[in-house]
Amino acid sequence: MKQVIKGNFAVAQGVRLCRVGVISAYPITPQTTIVEELSEICARGEMDAKFIKVESEHSAMAAMVGSSTAGVRSFTATSSQGLLLMHEVLHWAAGARLPIVLSNVNRAVGPGWNIWADQTDSVSQRDTGWVQIYCESNQEVLDSVIMSYKLAEKILLPVMLTYDAFFLSHTSEIVDIPDIEEVDAFLPPYQPEFRLDLDNPRMFGGLISPEYYYEQRYIMHKDALEALEYYPMVCEEFHEKFGREYDVVEEYRTDDAELIIVTAGTITSVTRIVVDRLREQGKNVGMMKLRMFRPVPVERWLDVLGGIPKVVVMDRNITAGLGGVFASEIQAVLYNSETRPVIYPVVVGLGGRDVTPDDVEGIINYALENDKPKDVPLFWGLKQ
Amino acid sequence: MKGIVLMTMKKRSESAKAYEFKTWRDFTPMNISVGTMLHNMTGSWRFIKPIYEDKVPACQNACPAGNDIEGWIKLLQKGEYDKAYWHLKREQPFPAILGRICFKFCETVCNRKQLDSFVGINELERFVGDRVDLSTPHPDLPDYNGKSLAVVGSGPAGMSTAYYGRLLGLRVTMFEALPEMGGILRVGIPAYRLPREILAAEFDGLKNMGIELMPNIAVGKDITLNGLRSDYNYIFLGTGVHESAKLNLEGEDESDRIMSGLGMLKKVALGEEVNLGKRVTIIGGGNTAIDAARTAVRLGSKVTVIYRRSETEMPAHPGEVEEAREEGVEFRFLAAPENIKINKDGSIERLVCCEMELGPPDESGRRRPVKKEGALFEVETDSILIAIGEIPAFDFLKDVVKTENNLVVVNEGMQVETIDDGRAKIFGGGDIIDLPHTVVHAVAAGKKAAIAMDCDRKGADFSEVFQKIATGDGRALSFSKYMGWMPVNPVRQNNTKVVDSEKIVYDYFMKAPQVEKQVLDAGVRKGSFDTYCKTFDEDQAQREAARCMHCGRCTECDNCLIFCPDVSVLVRGEGQFGYAIDYDYCKGCGICFTECPRNAITMIDEEIPIQVDD
Amino acid sequence: MQKIFDIPRELMTGEDLAQPGMLSCQGCGASLAMKLALKGLGERTIVAIPACCWTIIIGVYPYSTLKVPVVHVLFETAAVSASGIRAGLDMRGEEDVVVMAWAGDGGTFDIGIQSLSGVAERNDDILYVCYDNEAYMNTGIQRSGATPMGAWTTTTPSGAVKQEKKKDIEKIMLAHEIPYVATASVAYPDDMIQKFKKARTIKGTKFIHLLSPCPPGWRIDPAMSIKITRMATQAKVFPIYEVENGKYKLNVYPEKEIHLKEYLNTQGRFRQITEDMLKGAKERADQKWEDLVAMAEKEL
Repeated sequence: MKQVIKGNFAVAQGVRLCRVGVISAYPITPQTTIVEELSEICARGEMDAKFIKVESEHSAMAAMVGSSTAGVRSFTATSSQGLLLMHEVLHWAAGARLPIVLSNVNRAVGPGWNIWADQTDSVSQRDTGWVQIYCESNQEVLDSVIMSYKLAEKILLPVMLTYDAFFLSHTSEIVDIPDIEEVDAFLPPYQPEFRLDLDNPRMFGGLISPEYYYEQRYIMHKDALEALEYYPMVCEEFHEKFGREYDVVEEYRTDDAELIIVTAGTITSVTRIVVDRLREQGKNVGMMKLRMFRPVPVERWLDVLGGIPKVVVMDRNITAGLGGVFASEIQAVLYNSETRPVIYPVVVGLGGRDVTPDDVEGIINYALENDKPKDVPLFWGLKQ
Repeated sequence: MKGIVLMTMKKRSESAKAYEFKTWRDFTPMNISVGTMLHNMTGSWRFIKPIYEDKVPACQNACPAGNDIEGWIKLLQKGEYDKAYWHLKREQPFPAILGRICFKFCETVCNRKQLDSFVGINELERFVGDRVDLSTPHPDLPDYNGKSLAVVGSGPAGMSTAYYGRLLGLRVTMFEALPEMGGILRVGIPAYRLPREILAAEFDGLKNMGIELMPNIAVGKDITLNGLRSDYNYIFLGTGVHESAKLNLEGEDESDRIMSGLGMLKKVALGEEVNLGKRVTIIGGGNTAIDAARTAVRLGSKVTVIYRRSETEMPAHPGEVEEAREEGVEFRFLAAPENIKINKDGSIERLVCCEMELGPPDESGRRRPVKKEGALFEVETDSILIAIGEIPAFDFLKDVVKTENNLVVVNEGMQVETIDDGRAKIFGGGDIIDLPHTVVHAVAAGKKAAIAMDCDRKGADFSEVFQKIATGDGRALSFSKYMGWMPVNPVRQNNTKVVDSEKIVYDYFMKAPQVEKQVLDAGVRKGSFDTYCKTFDEDQAQREAARCMHCGRCTECDNCLIFCPDVSVLVRGEGQFGYAIDYDYCKGCGICFTECPRNAITMIDEEIPIQVDD
Repeated sequence: MQKIFDIPRELMTGEDLAQPGMLSCQGCGASLAMKLALKGLGERTIVAIPACCWTIIIGVYPYSTLKVPVVHVLFETAAVSASGIRAGLDMRGEEDVVVMAWAGDGGTFDIGIQSLSGVAERNDDILYVCYDNEAYMNTGIQRSGATPMGAWTTTTPSGAVKQEKKKDIEKIMLAHEIPYVATASVAYPDDMIQKFKKARTIKGTKFIHLLSPCPPGWRIDPAMSIKITRMATQAKVFPIYEVENGKYKLNVYPEKEIHLKEYLNTQGRFRQITEDMLKGAKERADQKWEDLVAMAEKEL
């Protein structure tokens, strides 16, 4: 059923549809309405779940570790500082192989306090072992919640789905909310092989020597890579059942492109418009939407970007002293390509600064006009 | 290993599996456990280990007979009164007697004193003795081994030798000079302390064991010692001390109102008439003096006891002194007789005494009393009883037996030196040898002599044997150990380690008042020779027995089981006693040892091999 | 013969949920504590263990000395992870399973106090047990908020022993007004087992503060572990009591009372305690005891 809802509301609906059993969350702008909405859904009896109103995000994720190990589908949401506070526990949850789903509203990291869209928070968690999905629209957000559980419960790794602060979290869009029976048919109940079971008492996550730790981590890595095989299958099944198409990347008009611009998050919607605009001008440009960031879809990136002469990468995030993280990783992947594109890393939109169609057009033109990038990275829109 | 222990250890070794992951494919995806840590035998960390080892409690150690007090108290608590009786008899054959008159060395060292007060062991012994028909012979009498024993003197030493001698298979005959059997028990201890019936029943018991009783035969007069030597393989001399020491004052022998305390008691015991008059003065401070004093009270006299040292130095048992006081006996300390003035008709005109004061200690370690200059005083009295010490009469032993300082000399094996001409070997014990003059010492000596005879018969070296069967500090020896009998606890025994109060964990015992000795009121009892102490009833006995802390002996209190951090104490179960240590895992921390309330566990070096028993 | 502790033998010889092979030191109070706790709780128990000595004691992958399910969790998250487990179990309909957070003093008094406070404020239905050996023993005897004044640790070394008082965790937990706050000691095992049995029957947050001796950390002979722990109660520095819904009950009136000094003298770590510290500590202990007696007597 189609409704006009905000991104946070979409998440809450996705959580309801997945019959999540335990939620624990701590409020932080701009995630707060997820938590509020879920409270009301539970209070209205629309969802049978336990909601632990924890006293910090670190505790939120710790509670998830508990409930997920007990074998119950678990969900939390946070943003920015909260995600950073959870960092230790994110490592733990992934290492414990728990299929937790976290929705992170991408918000800038302080100081100073900045509550607007910025991907630095989630990209800085890229080493934790979590699967990361970057969403462009409220529909995608809702759909991603459902697909994330399916993926997580298969590969036994937690999934973080992210979307921009305010641009999605607090902006209304049309979202087709499926019926819960339809979702039930797609996402069966969570039946873990190993859980806290009195009939089969085991110890989870204990002391491990150098003798065995190495292999445990190898297995984790191997299983993470399995997402690259399995997720497209999940997306295909989702397409069949719900009619909407997703993948680890989305290619937009890339077939004969001479330049591909890589985006993630809401900038993608803006870039779509600009690509169409520039195509009308006769420029052979295309867009690759970066959807799955972890595990790194090496084959797909090589496939899409490998033979292209110019690749522009827009990062709404920054690692001081390096630049944008997506660009850095794409470069690393493309190192192994037979033909290496010229890469134009661009840092835009930090802290919620608006990225307009004109900005994107300017960036693409800059790349088209220059054989090599002038600045690495280019800070588009820097007050000089 | 049996029972629960076997089951547990079997289950543990079955679960003790070490896994080996050879390739990454052997791992589970999640970090979860697949087995127990039972393959980790933490026992290899030890450098000391615990063993269950019963030891000698302080009471048993202090008892000259080595009475296994803890053992029969344990049986008493279980309600197994018959078993308690026969267990007690292993080391001390006459509980009904000693349970009335023993000096009670055990009670003076009882570890419970540090908590509240000593356990009424004597009362409990009497309880055990009084429940049984004393004429019952020992249920397991062995066959005669062909050797014979003549016991001269039917006092406690002789009774004990006869009893143990019979248990060792000897054919025993007891000779007693007096018409009644019992020696000092019959003629020295007053009837109110030891009823005649009890003594008679004990002798019935001895007779029913096959021991021949021959009263009215004085060895040395009616038959000769040498004669006995030809007729018997072994002779035991237990003739005791029936002569009294003299004051050596003028007039001492000139009146029939002056007699020895012992002599007076003997007369009363044999039913002869004794005329003490209204006022009696007794010289002396030992148990004889007190027995004489309380007997005189019962004959209607007013009694004063005069003793040359202070009350604390009195050899008499403090309990007896207290009871005497209650009965109206007066005491005058630090005074000694100076001279006696006798009237022409034989009555006593006056007794002059001198005050004493305590000077430096003498050979006994006690301070020597010294006359105070010019401190004389007069005592008006109708009779004087002298109870300053007993001495043996050795006429009949002349030329046969060596004596020194008025005592028969015996070697370590209780044997008297004789010309070894293949005829009977002579042993001696009781008051005639160098022993404190208590009944329990005499009984212990008899036991020792009987064992020595058995060693002689078997050709065994008594001192070697003695090493093996000595109890605690070696004052006493264990007949049970000699015979190889099982102790009450089927647990490893260490017969030389003594558990004193320092080894008891008092935190684990709750105070409980001593069940009071049931005595008749002084006013009532002093008028009669009937027994004045009532034996505990079952409830009283159980309550008092519950105060026994069972020092050094396991009571299955479960402390070790509860406190072991490594779950390495296993219960034997299935009718078996006690516990087993799972040495595969025991780390030797010593907590079980420290928390055992009664020191029934010992920590030994890990290097020492022990038999992990079945 | 009279048993000292009212603990039925069948309980002690019944199923061992804690098994030998533990990696604890000789004489470890924490090992004994877990054994007794599980005897009281029984097998329908799940334990969450944060970083603490028990992380090691329980064994190395892939083995465990406990026959109940155990989750290892991050240092500061014992309480809230237990809450998460509880929520999960309740969703699965396994409401009779007790979830126990088993943390050391570091993970309770210091780094874990936030999540513990959150759980207590929400009155989440878990049993939180702090086995207190009075320092960060697992990492090598560093001081914690639970280290008593005057104690030596590696971070309050000789010449600079701990100046600060021990945090009163019981008061902190009582301030949250949770249904059950209690102290217990491995030296009084019957009382301890009873408390764990009782904890199973109470809904809401339960907090049990255990005194757990540590031979290497307290500088004591392992054989004296239990005796010294008992002395702590006899010296009134660790009174054993419980508060159920605000009602106080003193469980142990020690038959023997000893001076605080006697207790401190048993341990090498208190060698440098000053007279002032001792005086202050004794005054505080005596005052606390008097207050407890008064609170308990109110109920009678």
